[in-house]
Amino acid sequence: MAADDDGDVFEITDFTTASEWERFIARVEEILHEWKLVNCEPKPPAKKGDYANGVWKEKSEELSFADFKFCMTHIWLKQPQEDDRKTSVERETAENETEEEEQADKTATVFLDLQSMNNDFPSRAHCICRWFGLQEFVTLMPVVNEETIDTESRIKLLMSSVSIALSNAGCSVPVFAQIQQRWQKLYIGTCIMPGATVEFKMVSLKKIPYQYNHLTGLLDAFKSKLGYAVERRPPVFVTVRFMYVLQDWINSPWTQSLPDLSSSFDEEVGCSSFEQLPFGACDDPVTQLHLSCTWPCLSEEIIVESQFYTDLNPLQAPHWSVRVQMADDPQCLLGEYLEAFLQLCKRKESWDQVIGNLQVEEETEKTSDISQALQKLTEPSVPYNLPAFGSYMTQAAARHDITPKHLPLSQDVLNQIIFFLFPDASKAAKVAKERDEEETKSGKEEQEITTAPHGNVKELPKQLKSAPFGSLLHRLSVCLCVINENYSGLHAVGQVWQEFLLELRYRWDYSYIIYEIERGPPNLGTCLLYQKLQMLNCCIERKIKREQLHKGYTGEPDSPLSSLRDKITGSTAAHNSSISQLGDKGEVKTVDSSGPKTNPKKAQSFDSSSEDEFFECEEENDTVKEKDSQSEIEKESLEQSETEMEAVDESAIENETADQSVDSEKEEKVKGSSAINSKTEDDAVSLTSESSFKDSLTHNPEGRLAPHGELKLLYTGEQMYIPVTQEPAPMTEDMLDEHAEVLAKLGTSTEGAQLRARMQSACLLSDMESFKAANPGCALEDFVRWYSPRDWIEDEVEGEDVQTVIKGHLSQRMEIPGNMWVEVWQTARPVPARRQKRLFDDTKEAEKVLHFLSSLQPADVVLHLLPVLIHAAILKVMENEDQELPVLQQLLDKLCSKASTVTRSPAQDVRSYDELIRMISHAEIVIARNQSLRSKFTASLLDRTDAESELRHFVNSILKNSEVPVRGGPQGPAGSIIHKLFSAAQKASNMALDEDSAQEKEKDREFQKYEQTFPDFPRPSAREYILRTVIPRPAPYSKPLPQRMHCVLCDNDFRLAGAFSSDSVFQ
Amino acid sequence: MSDHSVLTTLKILIIGESGVGKSSLLLRFTDDTFDPEQTATIGVDFKVKTLTVDGNGAKLAIWDTAGQERFRTLTPSYYRGAQGVILVYDVTSRQSFNKLDAWLNELETFSTKHDVVKMLVGNKIDMDKREVSKEDGLKFARKHQMLFIESSAKTKEGVQCAFEELVEKVIQTPGLWETDKQGGMTLIGSRGSSQGYCGGYCVI
Repeated sequence: MAADDDGDVFEITDFTTASEWERFIARVEEILHEWKLVNCEPKPPAKKGDYANGVWKEKSEELSFADFKFCMTHIWLKQPQEDDRKTSVERETAENETEEEEQADKTATVFLDLQSMNNDFPSRAHCICRWFGLQEFVTLMPVVNEETIDTESRIKLLMSSVSIALSNAGCSVPVFAQIQQRWQKLYIGTCIMPGATVEFKMVSLKKIPYQYNHLTGLLDAFKSKLGYAVERRPPVFVTVRFMYVLQDWINSPWTQSLPDLSSSFDEEVGCSSFEQLPFGACDDPVTQLHLSCTWPCLSEEIIVESQFYTDLNPLQAPHWSVRVQMADDPQCLLGEYLEAFLQLCKRKESWDQVIGNLQVEEETEKTSDISQALQKLTEPSVPYNLPAFGSYMTQAAARHDITPKHLPLSQDVLNQIIFFLFPDASKAAKVAKERDEEETKSGKEEQEITTAPHGNVKELPKQLKSAPFGSLLHRLSVCLCVINENYSGLHAVGQVWQEFLLELRYRWDYSYIIYEIERGPPNLGTCLLYQKLQMLNCCIERKIKREQLHKGYTGEPDSPLSSLRDKITGSTAAHNSSISQLGDKGEVKTVDSSGPKTNPKKAQSFDSSSEDEFFECEEENDTVKEKDSQSEIEKESLEQSETEMEAVDESAIENETADQSVDSEKEEKVKGSSAINSKTEDDAVSLTSESSFKDSLTHNPEGRLAPHGELKLLYTGEQMYIPVTQEPAPMTEDMLDEHAEVLAKLGTSTEGAQLRARMQSACLLSDMESFKAANPGCALEDFVRWYSPRDWIEDEVEGEDVQTVIKGHLSQRMEIPGNMWVEVWQTARPVPARRQKRLFDDTKEAEKVLHFLSSLQPADVVLHLLPVLIHAAILKVMENEDQELPVLQQLLDKLCSKASTVTRSPAQDVRSYDELIRMISHAEIVIARNQSLRSKFTASLLDRTDAESELRHFVNSILKNSEVPVRGGPQGPAGSIIHKLFSAAQKASNMALDEDSAQEKEKDREFQKYEQTFPDFPRPSAREYILRTVIPRPAPYSKPLPQRMHCVLCDNDFRLAGAFSSDSVFQ
Repeated sequence: MSDHSVLTTLKILIIGESGVGKSSLLLRFTDDTFDPEQTATIGVDFKVKTLTVDGNGAKLAIWDTAGQERFRTLTPSYYRGAQGVILVYDVTSRQSFNKLDAWLNELETFSTKHDVVKMLVGNKIDMDKREVSKEDGLKFARKHQMLFIESSAKTKEGVQCAFEELVEKVIQTPGLWETDKQGGMTLIGSRGSSQGYCGGYCVI
């Protein structure tokens, strides 16, 4: 009974002469004070299940005893209301409550814990908590692993020092010291309260002593330890738990269809090997089932378990619970494949380094034939124009000879991959188209199927910045990922990538649209790589359009123009071709005077060189000042049949527009009238400069798209026509960024703004020129009325007789002298869109895309493909998901939102993809576990059919919690299945199971037959007993205090952990 | 977060029919001037201003777009990555108000962030011939979950306030402007890895 008031004095006086152990004691006390473990209010015992599910907290501090370092750790179960109350209450008690009597009235935390049966076998807890049932304790562990407290005297010294510290400080929290080797987990402890002490002792043996191998023996040991015998000894209460392990799952062997890994070159490789991501675990992710049968709180008189007899039949245990041992790291295919692919991001080599060696070898083999090497560079793997498949095969075979054996992928495999990526390549165009249709159909169906299970699937493409499901890029990413794993890693990936690039190059060169890429301008909601492919497609599309236009003039005899052309005399025939070439955008300068038919490919090659020039060669009018040789020729021959020529030109160009026929009809009329009107209205135009006006006045209308509703030209009174205009250039996001950056760099000054406007006026200029071409005699006002109607302010409308005269004026801002609109209008000449400078240079852009792709290094390619691959993987997960699994649903939701932020992030980061992949494989594991458990706990094993929902619930809770109570115990639906599983395993292990008689009924009969011979359950692999009693110690007249002993008996451990309390007053 | 340094750069976009005063609004906000001779924007224009809202400095990169129909095929590309959008109409023009739906549609289609903050601004309230009432504007804004204010670039009214409000809202919207700072990953890792704890019967 140390008075707390003396503490201060003691410390001060002893300060100078303090020995090592006194300093240790002082330090322990100090820490206890620091942690406020002094004079605490007793806590109520924890509620049921709190030890396993509650929050445990830890606090650590280092201290040393002489040169021996300890780590002192306070571990406690967080009280629900701890946060708000504890601190204030505790401080008060520490200051005011010095009377022991008050404390003595309440039962100390330790005693309550020892008696509480709420948390007898926590599923997850610190071992001290498990063995002694404590909710709060302090441990003292040697810091350095090698150092141990192993001799009796050292243990005694340490424990007595601790005892002194505890009683000095008035701390009633038990303190444990770890003794012997660390792995032995041996603890010895003490707890000192006013008027009582508790000793915690522990014994651990490797083998179970014969006499203690059952409850009777253990009870004897417990009683003898308590050490006294009175006549009316209160009974000992026993809680028992037996654990049975099930390892053989007889009824449900794990079946996982392995992916088709037949990568042998000779054998036929199924396309499935690179079309789909694999999914699932290779091994059964569920390894063991631990069944715990618990008999809570039996009086020692009720049950007997001795060497010869036992009352403890698991089927009669009132409480069953199950713990499922999952494989720590089951080999999950999807996760593994993704992980391996991601690893490629960390490779630093270039493609040259990766596949360079291969190419060198290739060349040395066939150095003599340079032409072939060149051919290899330019030639695609798949020839398109070949109508029959047979002829393709011969070529493939020829190529096969060149291919060295060192390449990771044989030509056959490579061809298959290319056909898989570009399905239209495998057959003639017609077949390809059909197949394409089929495929889009099936693709749609597939998508619908995958849409069904999870609501997220529909939104997924919107959330993720990737590529559409089923698109070329989607296939490519899946294919490369699989190939990386199944073939020789980066080498094979490189080979496919190179082939892919060659294919793209070929498609551009020979104008084949890339299939399974969404048409139209790059969709900025998709990943960059996809945008690039869209861009390439745009280029190819434009190129095809150009070429078609060209062909229309030169070749086709069935052209509708032929009749018109026949009218033209022989001398103009040659000229006709030159005109037609003029009509073709941008190719005018390269007119091949030698003959009417120019090679389209040749013309195309000139394309890029002439891109920066304007061509206005058709300005046949006398007023044209600059006359190059081209228009000279033109003019001469045009004299006779000008109108016909125009008609030819016009209608040919506007083949595509719907209003063509209407247009050309009207044209004739317009032409006539414009000629009359033009001169009379000449003076009326004020804003346009004279020269430009003259241009627009006298030329013939060109490039009309459609008449514009009701609008008439202001000065001529003619119908206003909407011109055919150039479409704006499509841009990918990186181009946009670049463009925006350039614009932003111009700064915010007025000059900058002006420059910016000028840079962007190309489109305006183009539109103005088209407008002028389509509407001879038009003025800026007319243009504004079409282009920016709100800048045309209508004045009063005066109704005069028949005609209504519209009067109005330009808005103030349009009338500012020298503003950009006026300026551009003045420079604009009447040129139809088809003869303007191309706003979008497909040749240049296509080359840029191809260059971009070919300059990507392995790591870049992988990183660019990752969003698409992640998308594919998530869809794969969703395909396999189980909707009734809340755990998985949460996981998927998190996965989707995470994937959305990662793929959208402007800076693509490998690490965040790593996290994503881990999430995906986690989901995969959960799904695999779920599948495994479902197959094990199938309702077919059950006689009752109504139990299915109960089983579902059971499986779900196993996935969520570590230990799950079996509802209804052995009689419940889950319980009876577990019983069957065990007995089947028992039977199998006790006899050679006839594999053939696998039928359920057979089994049942056999089971009936052998039931008597073999027990349904194996020997329990672990047994635990908790013995409790309340008796006075050490003397009969002492206060009765709780005593407890926890016994663990399993194969290689026999452990007794006892807490023995004794009265320290009445000894 | 420090009060002085710029917390983030925000991309703000101004859209709306031609001639409703988008450029004037911007000019009023950035330079605090009004130019009656503001020319019609060609393509897009760009201005920068630093603004302090709630002690957070934000650098605004404001993109002013042309309202003409024909430019619309071009300008949506600049919608990319915008965190805030100011949709302007002219209170003296019913027609400019009626076109708002079309603008919102376009915004839906082209903006890359789905939680972009939208603000509706009814401009030119200094003028007499009002054709769109404040109630109409409010109704529209409510229907489409937008911020709403009426303003006059000429008299200054409401302009500063509009931009500030928008920026504040953007900053308050989680995940909209902080690009990748939050790690927020809790899921991975098997249960119970904390040292010293053992499960079930693994007694040793």
